Amino acid sequence: MKIVSHRFSILFLVMALLAMAGCAGEQSAFAGLGPVSSRITLLIWIMFTGAALITAFICVLMAISIAGPANWRHKLAREKVIVLGGIVFPVVTLTTLLFYGFLILKAGGKLIRAEDPVHIAVVGEQWWWRVIYRHDDGHTTESANELHIPVGRPIEIELSTADVIHSFWIPAYAGKVDMIPGRINTLHFMADKSGIVHGQCAEYCGGAHALMSFYAVAMAPFDYEAWLAKERADAKPALENKGEQLFLSSGCGGCHTVRGTRANGKIGPDLTHVGSRLSLGAGILPNAPEHFAQWISRHQKIKPDNLMPPFDFFSENELQALAAYLDGLE
Amino acid sequence: MAKPVRRRLRKFLPWALGLFGGGIALAFIIAYSGIYNIAASAGHPAWLEWFLQLGKERSVIFNSRSVDPPKLDIAELVPLGAAHFQGTCATCHGVPGQPVNPVFEHMLPSPPDLQKHAPHWTREQLFWIARHGIQFTGMPAWSGKDRDDEVWAVAAFLEALPSMTKADYHRHASGNSETQGYSAKQFISEGRPRLDLTACSRCHDTADAPPTSLHIPRLGGQGEAYLIRALQDYRDDSRQSGFMEPVADDLDDEQIERLAAYYASLTPFPHKRARPSSPEARELGRQLAEQGDRERKIPACLSCHGVKRRTDYPRLAGQSEQYIKQQLQILRRGGRDQTPHGAMMSVVAKRLTEQQVEAAASFFASQPPQAEHSRLDKWGAASQP
Repeated sequence: MKIVSHRFSILFLVMALLAMAGCAGEQSAFAGLGPVSSRITLLIWIMFTGAALITAFICVLMAISIAGPANWRHKLAREKVIVLGGIVFPVVTLTTLLFYGFLILKAGGKLIRAEDPVHIAVVGEQWWWRVIYRHDDGHTTESANELHIPVGRPIEIELSTADVIHSFWIPAYAGKVDMIPGRINTLHFMADKSGIVHGQCAEYCGGAHALMSFYAVAMAPFDYEAWLAKERADAKPALENKGEQLFLSSGCGGCHTVRGTRANGKIGPDLTHVGSRLSLGAGILPNAPEHFAQWISRHQKIKPDNLMPPFDFFSENELQALAAYLDGLE
Repeated sequence: MAKPVRRRLRKFLPWALGLFGGGIALAFIIAYSGIYNIAASAGHPAWLEWFLQLGKERSVIFNSRSVDPPKLDIAELVPLGAAHFQGTCATCHGVPGQPVNPVFEHMLPSPPDLQKHAPHWTREQLFWIARHGIQFTGMPAWSGKDRDDEVWAVAAFLEALPSMTKADYHRHASGNSETQGYSAKQFISEGRPRLDLTACSRCHDTADAPPTSLHIPRLGGQGEAYLIRALQDYRDDSRQSGFMEPVADDLDDEQIERLAAYYASLTPFPHKRARPSSPEARELGRQLAEQGDRERKIPACLSCHGVKRRTDYPRLAGQSEQYIKQQLQILRRGGRDQTPHGAMMSVVAKRLTEQQVEAAASFFASQPPQAEHSRLDKWGAASQP
């Protein structure tokens, strides 16, 4: 019996450590890379430390009440102790925490009134992210599966969905906010320093939910403006147009847009600058020419149930040409 | 009361078991010894003939009881069924004005002359027999999986067969093909001119005639790579059709390529028109073809089905409404999932509503074959934001 419980405790420890590994790095809720998330992180630490102290204190009291000297035990049994420790203390502590929690909820709210926020709309789709940058002149630029933001400026993201409930979560910057059919939720946050972090859909949304992630790239303001100008521009004419011809004649343009060509489909991700993105398939494969070919020929194996029809008939040459074309869309 | 019955049973049981066991042993001895003559030439004794007929008759009636016939467009189905009959069934069953071939007449049971025998069965029973075949008679099951629509064409034809004259039959079965009298020399070296299985024009269009039925696709002007792919898919059984599989099976690669090249360069001859479809359906179809349906994640049909598209994608403009609708229904059922192209299209077909299937079919049917170009350009031009 003892051996079994020992084994279980080791198993538990291993699992806990594995789970903790998720807290490190680019998808960490402890990273606190912006004012919103750093307050959340602070709250986590206050809660954790407070809970640990209270637990320790209760353990000491329990030890005394079981094995302590008689007069201590007698003092503990007084009504005053019960009233103070059992009613007053929890009420005061929990009320304080509640109001502190409200305050943190409003931390994003403060950014609402901030001047000159960056306006971006993100639409959750099964199972990818449509990202729409709103320019000051009223125009928009559509992109997908990657969020670029400037450092030090408040970000305002309109969250909506094209189909079912999704949840938009960049743990390093802010708490998760649901994308609910028929309404638009707004998320405010700010990035303190440049870097690349990972985001993930945090509400089960069907088959490929676990494979619906994205990268958020925080850039220095100047870099961001340059990036946005490039993203806004049409695709450069392909150097070698075999891949482009194949892309258009095979019907890819029925679902995907490549601005500057006839491809104007609105069903799948905009591919105008797909070659410059960090990942393919919504954060699933690192961007590389061979991964374009893999995605086209095996995407139902890489990301089962995704809504792109299977194209199992391209020859090796055709795949190479398509991959070269897409990789060149920078 | 119960006691004597039980005692009598106990006495009777060994006898019953003995008889049963003896019967089985006797049957085994007869089979093993080989004394029963299974020669087709020997025929069946009258009592066995009666017994087998009874079993067959009852089985067909019993098993076809749940067959539910769709509404049949007899005029369009008869030419289809007749041409298939001529290509595959006639060898055994004979045709009007020409009795059953003496070779096959010596099968046991001998294939019935269907002009006489078809009226014996109901439409459902004819369908069931053509669909499933009959064991131990040489009658095969339908070779296209999940293609009941084709079997109904044969059932429709068989219903019409008894009242057909030789000339009627020939008109239906030969379709657009012409067999002319050969000279004696040709006759001697090549044999009698006959309506071969691979005579495509029995059903399909020619330079100066449309396909013989609205259920048959127009091939003139179709993409060459598509035609090659279709015939190869039929030949290796990855695309299902009881009509086309036996035809493709008779063709070698070189013949397939020659046929595809011929039809690809043939000027399309427009389909004869059935009833005009409603303008609303055509308009909905036009929208679907040019813009798709973003809500249901359906891409524009023309993004793949146009002249400047891959030639292994089929061209749909000017095909008949019935044919397009039929193929979409097969795709929706997953009936074409075994080929990569079919698997791709079936994803899109499954997203279509019943109404969209009708609309897309009526739009493409209303387009003249050559007009794809202008449509395509319009679709392309709309892409500029």
